[in-house]
Amino acid sequence: MTLALLLDVAAGGLLLGGLYALIAVGLNLQYGLMRVLNVAHGEFLMIGGYVTYVLHVHAGMDPLASLLVSGPVVFAAGVGVHAALYRRLLRQERTREELEANSLLISFGLLFILQNGALLLWSADLRGYQYLDRPLRVFGTVFPANRVVAFAMAAIVTALLLLFLRRTLVGAAVRALMQDPVGARLMGINVARVHALCFGLGAGLAAVSGSLLSMLFELTPFVGLPYTITALVVIILGGLGSVGGSLLGGLILGVVESLGVHFTAPDLRMVISYAVLALVLILRPYGLFNPAAHRPGQSVRA
Amino acid sequence: MGTEIGRRRFLQVAAGSAAAMGLPRGAGAQSPVRIGFTLSATGPYAVGAGITQRPNYDLWVEQVNAKGGLAVAGQGRRPIQLVDHDDRSEIETAVRLYEKMITDDKVDLLLPPWGTAMNFAVAPVANKHGYPLIGPTVGSLKLKELGLPYFYAVLAQPDAMMGSLAGFLKEVKRQQGLTKVAVIHVADLFGLEHQGALMPLLKEAGFEVVEAKSYPLGVKDLTDVLKGIKAKGAEIFVGLSYPPDTILAATQAKAVDFNPSIFYTAVGTAFPFFRDRFKAGAEGVMGVGAWNPKVAFPGAKAYFDAHVAKHKKEPDRWASAFAYATLQILEETVGRVGLDRARIKAHLDATEFSTVVGPIKFARGVNQATPGMVGQWQKGEFEVVWPPERATAKASVPKPKWE
Repeated sequence: MTLALLLDVAAGGLLLGGLYALIAVGLNLQYGLMRVLNVAHGEFLMIGGYVTYVLHVHAGMDPLASLLVSGPVVFAAGVGVHAALYRRLLRQERTREELEANSLLISFGLLFILQNGALLLWSADLRGYQYLDRPLRVFGTVFPANRVVAFAMAAIVTALLLLFLRRTLVGAAVRALMQDPVGARLMGINVARVHALCFGLGAGLAAVSGSLLSMLFELTPFVGLPYTITALVVIILGGLGSVGGSLLGGLILGVVESLGVHFTAPDLRMVISYAVLALVLILRPYGLFNPAAHRPGQSVRA
Repeated sequence: MGTEIGRRRFLQVAAGSAAAMGLPRGAGAQSPVRIGFTLSATGPYAVGAGITQRPNYDLWVEQVNAKGGLAVAGQGRRPIQLVDHDDRSEIETAVRLYEKMITDDKVDLLLPPWGTAMNFAVAPVANKHGYPLIGPTVGSLKLKELGLPYFYAVLAQPDAMMGSLAGFLKEVKRQQGLTKVAVIHVADLFGLEHQGALMPLLKEAGFEVVEAKSYPLGVKDLTDVLKGIKAKGAEIFVGLSYPPDTILAATQAKAVDFNPSIFYTAVGTAFPFFRDRFKAGAEGVMGVGAWNPKVAFPGAKAYFDAHVAKHKKEPDRWASAFAYATLQILEETVGRVGLDRARIKAHLDATEFSTVVGPIKFARGVNQATPGMVGQWQKGEFEVVWPPERATAKASVPKPKWE
């Protein structure tokens, strides 16, 4: 075991962690704002992947350029899903527990519909294409070029999202609603509209992650759920409702998984992520980057 | 999956109304022969099932029904009706469905599901009720130990298959001095048994095993493992893998610039999808088992062409043809002895069959006539390169670098 190999493996984990972060940020945006736990998050990711696959393989579009299609299309679909399924639920909410339980049921239904819809459209065959799958030499070690590109794109998209949340009026409204729903309402923020926007954004970000993942891995209609689980681990790691926490959580999980797998076996990847999750829940139940006083829903950093 | 449910419902209703009218089932020359099976339409086994088994079942049924039906000894031709379900890659679901097809649907014959672990689980059920099952996608010695007289396996089993690989590697070692081997396997019955068969053979032949790891079914990432193997200087890579991970291993080996002299993976290597996915990069990749339309067995080319014509895609270059061969065997047997399942078994035990994969002869349920083989992609065809008496081309070692 040389130090170089160790760093190499850790850096590989970091690259994957960047994608975990992007996936988790989208889920966290939905949950942090609306208390809607969308377990169909991974299905939006899967759809994004197929959009890129179809555009690249059948229309010859560059996979990177296809992000400009998959993101907005799935964003619009997300807004539509919100209008059709969630708007009434959110309006009728009585208690948070009731909302969480009902939204969970809805998203489970959504998961099965989207998964089986994809199965009808594309069958269970593996779908994939070659994109930049050559080695890239950086500082004497070798990385898959497509991973580096995917990581860079994930970083750019995340940075844009942070800018949006911090620098625009709408972004301020999102943060205000996260911090104090009642106060924000009193200030005249149109809650239903911000909710729709955030649900759409969450779905759109998942689709962008899916497009990036389709450059690295083969697609089947069932790729989504494991990523939903990874995203859940990440947002609990980083703190519910904390966008910055999700970013760091994703990167940390990527590195810990890679090193863990390297020293043990790929069999144990899930065990390692759950062990990390259990440790965090025992030691820092509100997430690594949420001070204990800032419980989700009371005060949230964006 | 709406279609499956629809079909099941239809059959139940149809069977119910037939019973209500007092018609004995199976009366009349034209009543269909009902053949039941499950295949994974969803989940991790769906890829292999959808490439290796389903297209051949559909092709065969179409061919037989086009001839006027399945010839049943003493009854003339009867159309085939399939009773099929999605087992969702869940072993317990498959077991339940096979129980149901036998006791509730009362099908005439059964076809097996896809994959070693699946067959392992449903074979005892079929055996208990005296249904012969001829498995085209089974590689397991443990199955033999279970002693199931009604179960038949057509593929070369792990001992023969890995024996053939070890024989090939020994020859390469003798000629080119390659000794460092890395072996990874999928933690599923298929991977476990093949690994168990291969490791002692490698040790015996004096290879240095630099890495031996397992990974779970549905693994998403092997780059860390491949980087480790590359760092240890493996010259021979053996992946005892299932289709999704076969693709993953090749993709990621290429991406981390891991170029061993021999790159051998298991199920999925022989899929035309593999060649189409990697294009020139597939050149020189080796895989478990092999078959191609150039083999000199009657009907091989005709089967290949019929498959392409019906499905607009080529059959895979290993177990597809074996799957079709099991149907040829079944057809011939029913034509000789009818649908009495004990007589079917007796015929299977006693006969040497001529199929698109060559002669097949069972001894205690295992086909003895097909040796273990090694295949290699060469210029777009999956050539049989080992053993020499079955070879359609010479092996090319070392494999060129990934394109």
